Amino acid sequence: MRVPYGWLAELVEGLPPLQETADLLAGLGLGVETIDHVPGAPAGVRVASVLAAEPVSGALQRVEIDDGDRRHTVACGAPNVRVGMRAAYAPPGTRLPGFAAVLEVREVGGVRSEGMLCSPRELGIFEHAAGLLALADDAPVGAELAELWPADDVIELELTPNRADAFSLLGVARDLAAKLGTALRHPAAGLETAAGDPSVADGLEVRVADPERCPRFSLRRVDGVRVGPSPVWLQRRLALLGLRPRNVVVDVTNLVTFELGQPSHAYDLEALEGGVLEVRRAAPGERLVTLNEDELTLDPEDLVIATPAAEGGSRAIGLAGVIGGREDSVRAATTSVAVEVASFEPIGVRRTGKRHKLVTDARIRFERGVDPALPLTANARVTALLAELAGGRPHPGVRWVAAPAAAVPAIAFRPSQVGFLVDVEVPPDEQRRHLERIGCEVVVEAPDRWRVAPPTWRADLELEVDLVEEVARLHGYEHIGSTHPHLAFVPPPTDPTHRRLRERLVGAGMVEAIGYVFTSDEDLARARVPEPRVRLSEPQGIERAVLRTSLLPGLLAAARLNRDAARLALFEVGHVFLDHEEERVGLLWRGHGAASGWRPPQGHDVYAAKGQLEALAEGLGARLTMRPVGFDDLHPGVSAEVAWEGTPVGRFGRLHPEVAAAWGCGDVIVAELRLPLEACPPRLRELPRQPFAERDLAVVLPADVAYAELQARCAAAAGPRLVELFAFDVYQGPQVEAGHKSVALRFRFRHPDRALTDTEVDADMAAVMTALRDAGYAWRT
Amino acid sequence: MNDDTLHAIATAPDLRELQALRVRLLGKKGELTEGLKSLGALPPEERRARGAALHERKRAVEAALEARKAALERAALDARLAAERLDLTLPGERVPAGAHHLLTQVTNRLLDVFASLGYEVVVGPELEDDRHNFGALNFPPDHPARDTQDTFWTTDGRLLRTHTSPMQVRYMESHEPPFRVVVPGRVFRNEAVDATHEAQFHQLEALVVGERITMADLKGAITEMATALLGSGTRTRLLPTYFPFVEPGAEFAIWWQHPKTGREEWLELGGCGMVHPRVFEAVGYEGVTGFAFGFGIERLAMVSYQVSDIRDLFRGDLRLLEQFRGVA
Repeated sequence: MRVPYGWLAELVEGLPPLQETADLLAGLGLGVETIDHVPGAPAGVRVASVLAAEPVSGALQRVEIDDGDRRHTVACGAPNVRVGMRAAYAPPGTRLPGFAAVLEVREVGGVRSEGMLCSPRELGIFEHAAGLLALADDAPVGAELAELWPADDVIELELTPNRADAFSLLGVARDLAAKLGTALRHPAAGLETAAGDPSVADGLEVRVADPERCPRFSLRRVDGVRVGPSPVWLQRRLALLGLRPRNVVVDVTNLVTFELGQPSHAYDLEALEGGVLEVRRAAPGERLVTLNEDELTLDPEDLVIATPAAEGGSRAIGLAGVIGGREDSVRAATTSVAVEVASFEPIGVRRTGKRHKLVTDARIRFERGVDPALPLTANARVTALLAELAGGRPHPGVRWVAAPAAAVPAIAFRPSQVGFLVDVEVPPDEQRRHLERIGCEVVVEAPDRWRVAPPTWRADLELEVDLVEEVARLHGYEHIGSTHPHLAFVPPPTDPTHRRLRERLVGAGMVEAIGYVFTSDEDLARARVPEPRVRLSEPQGIERAVLRTSLLPGLLAAARLNRDAARLALFEVGHVFLDHEEERVGLLWRGHGAASGWRPPQGHDVYAAKGQLEALAEGLGARLTMRPVGFDDLHPGVSAEVAWEGTPVGRFGRLHPEVAAAWGCGDVIVAELRLPLEACPPRLRELPRQPFAERDLAVVLPADVAYAELQARCAAAAGPRLVELFAFDVYQGPQVEAGHKSVALRFRFRHPDRALTDTEVDADMAAVMTALRDAGYAWRT
Repeated sequence: MNDDTLHAIATAPDLRELQALRVRLLGKKGELTEGLKSLGALPPEERRARGAALHERKRAVEAALEARKAALERAALDARLAAERLDLTLPGERVPAGAHHLLTQVTNRLLDVFASLGYEVVVGPELEDDRHNFGALNFPPDHPARDTQDTFWTTDGRLLRTHTSPMQVRYMESHEPPFRVVVPGRVFRNEAVDATHEAQFHQLEALVVGERITMADLKGAITEMATALLGSGTRTRLLPTYFPFVEPGAEFAIWWQHPKTGREEWLELGGCGMVHPRVFEAVGYEGVTGFAFGFGIERLAMVSYQVSDIRDLFRGDLRLLEQFRGVA
């Protein structure tokens, strides 16, 4: 919210200088976003009255004005130029903020224009360019506008949702006065506030059909209103708030919204059929055109202000607590208005606002909760201003339809809690002063048993701890010291963020990426990974509509982005969202392995990548195995299921060429493994005391038999003395039968206690050869 | 036998020739061996004189052989060393160093700090429910406080967590105080994306609960963290603010020197406060107090390393990722 410093200074006695005030506000929890210096009207611009206006061509008019000294002729194209109006006149020689050059006498459409009449934007005082700044009679002809419209500083506050009371100058001033210990000048002080009466002889009628949603409703008739521009001080105040002045009636209601924090609305009496206002739920499908010309289709949950319709029943003319309708708007010809100041229940206003995506000054206040004691005060303030500024004659009585207010329970408060929780010592009498200054009523029942009744405007104060915060806040958080508690707690040595895994991968030369959890149906399909299970209801576009079911699409996109990189080794640790959420590591390799640049690089093929995974497992003391299993996204001949200590955890292989082509990511090797990949505690084995006996055997077998199968068959046949078995050569080519391969195996046998004899080893090898023969394989020794 | 023999030894071209000479002279049937064998047949006086001469001769030959052998070996070694010479200024063959993501590095640094202060690291799900993300954290339904956390809802009524605070609830539901925990993790906000705002980012959150934890303990913890990050003498500042799940609540800032401008200023880092009684109520705790504080990782990483566009962190561009090699 924007808080003009000059206005604040009128409300708080002894307000310190600007920066000091801003620091005080920040220290009170009214966060200061920025401080804007807002310039006043440009020097040299004067108030002038329009004496005559004569069309020239199109919108252009030749306008005669009086600037208090003499008459001038200016060319003007503004639609709101009227004879008798007061406007801002910039004579030749004026420097206007948006203009590069100083204003000169010049010819415009055949009119010799001695300067110009200015719009608010041309003056740089608020954002409106569709017409001239229209001034009221309070602006004397010939006056320097800059004297009436000086510069000011505006403190922009970023208010938290709990501080409903601070959405007004009054609320901000109240906090500052409490902190400073100085007097607050209430804007409605001295006004006679009517008691309110459900039956006032004002020719109006109010029917509240939903008192839960509208617990209080005041309406006051004001006749004899002259609708015209507001006085300069009011226009300037609104401009500083960031609002556009419109006419005195609308401006007064807007002013009071920001001044007291209570929204209000003035109805043109002619728009109220029979002077009747009804507060009811909208009919299904009922329509309303708002002030902003939005046509809304209403929901039965919406609360509307309605008036009887000529054709029977009633029609909505406003969305309660959110926005007025177009039809009841005050017009230039309006003379009688009915000023509504009501309370609307926060949740209903919030839901309606969200439903129709309307964020208005009224909604912001009602949904946070407006002081229930405020409607009659605000009504008195609005109607008094209409009497003062628009010549209105408020009806002596105020129509008032209100349900009895529920009593706000007092809070049991122990002043000792401030020391206990915040660890600052604030003497009880000082605590009491703080609480009373923000409007609480304090009853001391015992030294550490108080009853504190919060003011009507602080509905956020509900619990003892809320009062502790109030005391700490007014005392100042800067008094809080730094201490260190002693806790009997020893954290267990866990690694939930998989640091060890990441460190090993980085140590092996891999680069960590972090991708998006958001993806699209299309990307998941293109990567041939599972369809999305989780869909966002309001995504940021179809590219971010669903949650990823695999880490690979993100890595493929990165591979495409880095398509010029000769070598790529990426990984990501992240969550994927299937029927349940799980953590995974995704890996991607492309291009060569180790390289020097000046001699041929080592191949970075599938076996090099597999070797990295094996080394990873070895480093964590675990066993990683692969089993040929086809996966949709992988090359059918280079695709395996990965097991960690025998449990399947994911897949590994070469990306399917069709998928690679669809992504433009090149020929890549990928893996995706479920986390955690648990480290296995080392189990120490006794060191062998005997040497091993070694035998080699080259087996010729069909090329499509997996090595793992051959190895398992040999190991099973060789018996318990076999301690090691591995391939040291794999050959496929002219030396072996077509469709076959030769795998050279090395067997190592050992007896734990004694040296093996050749006869024993030969017997074990014979068993191996028998098993190979049974399987139909040949061998060469 | 004459000096030619010694000359032949001294000029033997290689070790093989030298060995041949040794065999010829000193082998079982070598000249000198035979000469020594034949001594027995000589009369005693002649044997003594002849023997002495032969032994003298044998020592001279052996010495010549050893000397030549040493010379030849040295020459061979020199030749090998010359042949094996390499230009070590040529680049080595290597796998380029890997790199942790910048956000991982910053997170790890913070986790190290918290580990040294006795905190347990815990993590939680990114897909959450209303109760853990809002309800149990004292965000009433239809409260404007929810607007401060623009939420990605899923079509099945769940949500992407808007902060790491749901882990406060999850941890307290399954553990008993006292404890100190720290929660790093990815969070999500449905906000317009630009250079400083992303729909996903990372937070780190600390929660300490015990019999009597105070707001001064909170300030102490933040100061300890800031000191570990920035060195001793670091100042911290608390200003009142509102988060539904703490009361009193505050935002905290640390006094630091901006790495780019070099100016000393407050770095607004995050939010904090004393755990709200309603949060304790929601998890069934009684008779304890606690504090929580949390902040965004991206902001700290971006100002520390002068990353100007948050989106660059999530693109997977090697040219950026590789710049953070070697540090962990």
